Amino acid sequence: MTSLLPALVYASAAVFLVGMGWRLAAWLRAPVPLNIVLTPGPATAAGVTRRLGGEALLFRSLFGADRWLWVAAWVFHISLVLLAVGHVAGLVVPELARASLGLTEDQFHQLAEVTGGVFGVLAVVPLLCLLLRRLTMERLRYISTFSDYFALALLLLVIATGDQMRFMGALDLARARQFVSGLLSFHPVAPPSDTAFVAHLLLVCALLAYIPFSKLVHLGGLLLSPTLNQRNNAREHRHVGPWDRLQAGGSPISSQGPRA
Amino acid sequence: MKVPPLNPGASSGVRSHRARKELLTPLGLPAEMPPDWQTVALRKLEELCRQRRSLQLSLDLCVRCGACADKCQFFLGTGDPNNMPVARAELLRKVYRRYFTTSGKLAGRLAAGEDLTEQVLEQWYTYFYQCSECRRCAVFCPFGIDTAEITAAAREVMASVGVATKYVTEVVKKAHEIGNNMGIPEAAWRDSCQFLEEEMKEETGADIRIPVNQEGAEVLLVPPSADLFANTDTMIGYAKLLHAAGVSWTTSTYASEAGNFGMFLSYEHTQKVNKRLVDAARQLKVKRLVIGECGHAWRAAQAFMDTMNGPLDFLESPRPEHICEFAVRVIRRGGLRLNKAANDGRTVTYHDPCNLARAGGLMEEPREVLRAVVNDFREMPADTIRERTFCCGAGGGMLADELMDVRMKGAKPRVDAFRASGANYLATPCAICKAQLPVAFEHYGVTAQVGGVMDLLGKAIVV
Repeated sequence: MTSLLPALVYASAAVFLVGMGWRLAAWLRAPVPLNIVLTPGPATAAGVTRRLGGEALLFRSLFGADRWLWVAAWVFHISLVLLAVGHVAGLVVPELARASLGLTEDQFHQLAEVTGGVFGVLAVVPLLCLLLRRLTMERLRYISTFSDYFALALLLLVIATGDQMRFMGALDLARARQFVSGLLSFHPVAPPSDTAFVAHLLLVCALLAYIPFSKLVHLGGLLLSPTLNQRNNAREHRHVGPWDRLQAGGSPISSQGPRA
Repeated sequence: MKVPPLNPGASSGVRSHRARKELLTPLGLPAEMPPDWQTVALRKLEELCRQRRSLQLSLDLCVRCGACADKCQFFLGTGDPNNMPVARAELLRKVYRRYFTTSGKLAGRLAAGEDLTEQVLEQWYTYFYQCSECRRCAVFCPFGIDTAEITAAAREVMASVGVATKYVTEVVKKAHEIGNNMGIPEAAWRDSCQFLEEEMKEETGADIRIPVNQEGAEVLLVPPSADLFANTDTMIGYAKLLHAAGVSWTTSTYASEAGNFGMFLSYEHTQKVNKRLVDAARQLKVKRLVIGECGHAWRAAQAFMDTMNGPLDFLESPRPEHICEFAVRVIRRGGLRLNKAANDGRTVTYHDPCNLARAGGLMEEPREVLRAVVNDFREMPADTIRERTFCCGAGGGMLADELMDVRMKGAKPRVDAFRASGANYLATPCAICKAQLPVAFEHYGVTAQVGGVMDLLGKAIVV
């Protein structure tokens, strides 16, 4: 089993990268025929950057929609990002991270214990709230599909197995680091034999491979949304559509679609 | 806002009358559903996804977080779960998933995919015509998903197999053939203009004209055609404003309609209706194109016109201009003598038409005009105005009698907000709102007047 793990990691990473690339390519290939920006919207590029930043980093629209949902969603996403950063710092470039923070080995370890623990919990609690919300609110139950529960369950399991290592396990950190650097240098070595570690890794692989085929692709599409990333300047700058305007004589355009 | 309990199927019986052959054929749509309609419809859906990034993203990104669920006036009014924007979109999304996504092709129902059956098409026909394309849900979506894009696509797919509403196709046909939605021919247009001129003469003693097809005028004013018959005070307001501003202007009998019901049917027809305005402006050699009080007209003109039928560089900037922008320019330079007292007795509030607020970014100018011409102006509650405005309940091609039940339920959030404001006059620059809201006021027992911004300006202008 453990000898298959590196292959699985590579395979799921490949599925993730190719899948996301494929999705992004499909989105980018589709033209934006009209200016459909949601107003009031910014007229300048700087304004658009602020708008997108507000949406991507602060979930501004969601804040206006539902305060409690916003708390859960934002805390979860921020925790997830910080956990990812922590994984890189602790497993991929531990020496660099420790040195640049100016910490001793012990201090670095303690920092990892605390931040990993805090955000490990902060990621789980909102997920449980979101799940509870889906199960108890009539409206949410109505719109939820199997894939919504599946995504929540998968994320919960990923974080729960991580938390198990953090709070209950006795992970051989040195071996974990060797395993990770082995993967990254394409000379894989045997993983730590810890069950929680193997489970955690398998679940992460499943998550990675699942993302491009599910609603979790949303992480890649927000910035492309024309309603948010267009400028509110239709009267100053002519937005040129991908196909020709009405032909002379008033006959409607053919629906041939965009020209190359 | 009180969120109703779910009442599945509550408004499933409220459906637009279907367009028949005599309306479909002239618009280039199939006279009846072809035997291979599924194939045709799916091909159209695929084509639209390929042509519109917004559509593809809207179908792919939704996480069903429910932020939009309680934001739609039609859901708040009916409790029908399919009127939650997310659920409405899912009606199209489930078919998209089934045929165009890997997971849907492999896992079918498990991936929440569904075959395109006649029942599904019936659902589409019902609920995509219970959406006014008002974009309120999009304001709250963390991904900017715009149900109006989804509804427009679904309607376009349906039209491709000959499924459309009588109301929308009738109006589009009239716009193509006669030049306006009301079907007013040139002679009647001239008569009405003359009639209003006489009325203004009686009232003011001045010769205020409503010119028709005047070549070389500076401004071409394109109002919604309803302003010439139903909302004549609005028309009088335009005329007084342009007269007092000392600007030469004209109306056109070729482009006698600002509204664009093509938007509620398909891209092609949007473009074709829109083209009349550009052609008329060119023909009449005007310098400015000014759009009257109509919400979706403003979207078609300010956001789409230059792309669809431009370049508009033969016009002066801003091209085109909204009548409220024009009024603000004139007021700011002190070009009008205004008597606010003429509007005393009216406690006025302003209803943002959806397309002006969320698709046209025009929210300050109408308010600036109102503050200049009335003494008692007040706002409705903050979560019901500006970009959070509620649709009147009849936009997007829903102003049909047979939809009355849903229209009245959809109007309730707006009517409640109006009540809370304590106003007795609702000003709004949109012909559809002006047709819908008086009916809704009567329905809910509210005694108040509905009128345009120009109506009040016209009353205050001292000629």
